[in-house]
Amino acid sequence: MTDEHDKLLPIANVGRIMKQILPPHAKISKEAKERMQECASEFISFITSEASDRCHKENRKTLNGDDICWALCSVGLDNYSEAMLRYLQKLREYERQRANQSNQVSTGEDKDETSTTNWATFDFGILDRRGSTSSGKPS
Amino acid sequence: MRQPGAYSKLVSGGKSGPHSLPLARIKKIMKNSSDEVKMISGEAPIVFSKACELFIEELTKRAWIMTLQAKRRTMQKEDVASAVIDTDIFDFLVNLVSHDSANTVRESDQPQES
Repeated sequence: MTDEHDKLLPIANVGRIMKQILPPHAKISKEAKERMQECASEFISFITSEASDRCHKENRKTLNGDDICWALCSVGLDNYSEAMLRYLQKLREYERQRANQSNQVSTGEDKDETSTTNWATFDFGILDRRGSTSSGKPS
Repeated sequence: MRQPGAYSKLVSGGKSGPHSLPLARIKKIMKNSSDEVKMISGEAPIVFSKACELFIEELTKRAWIMTLQAKRRTMQKEDVASAVIDTDIFDFLVNLVSHDSANTVRESDQPQES
């Protein structure tokens, strides 16, 4: 049974991201948040399709972070692509360090944590959201 | 046992609370996008989580410009639609929002009866 909401990011999360980028007095209608949810899903789908095409052409089965960065660039979202490449580098470096730490402690218990660790909160300090991704800053 | 502290700065992100997007949901959306998508590496949804955040932020900022131009303080879905249409790199969203902009009726377009 497929829930329609499975195709969208949660409205609470989307709304929070929207609210945090706007001035404190700004209000956002529920419909605007719903529209943003749909746009975000379309963004994921669109980029994933491009990335998947590339994988397919290169006879690879697993879609990885590099494919996403390439797809972002191929559709003209260069700023996103560059920012995500930097993010990916830091992410992989962090994973390597964790793997080394786990090896030193010589336990396997951390192996599955990648899937449950809340990676998305990691900022790595490499994303400058004050203008680096928009071609035109709002006045 | 894991030692806290070494990577705590990375974990907290230094922002006002985490604004992460659920990775499992992102993965579902990715799988739904195309029949060709079979296997997805662990890092891919993580990259998308950040990319989506940037995307939502950018589209929100641009939509807010539309809200201000209309002299309102509440963002409406038409503002999101206008921002999409106004931004070349968001062309892939035009079909998705086109019914919103089509429904937007400006008062100045209404014929005035004397």
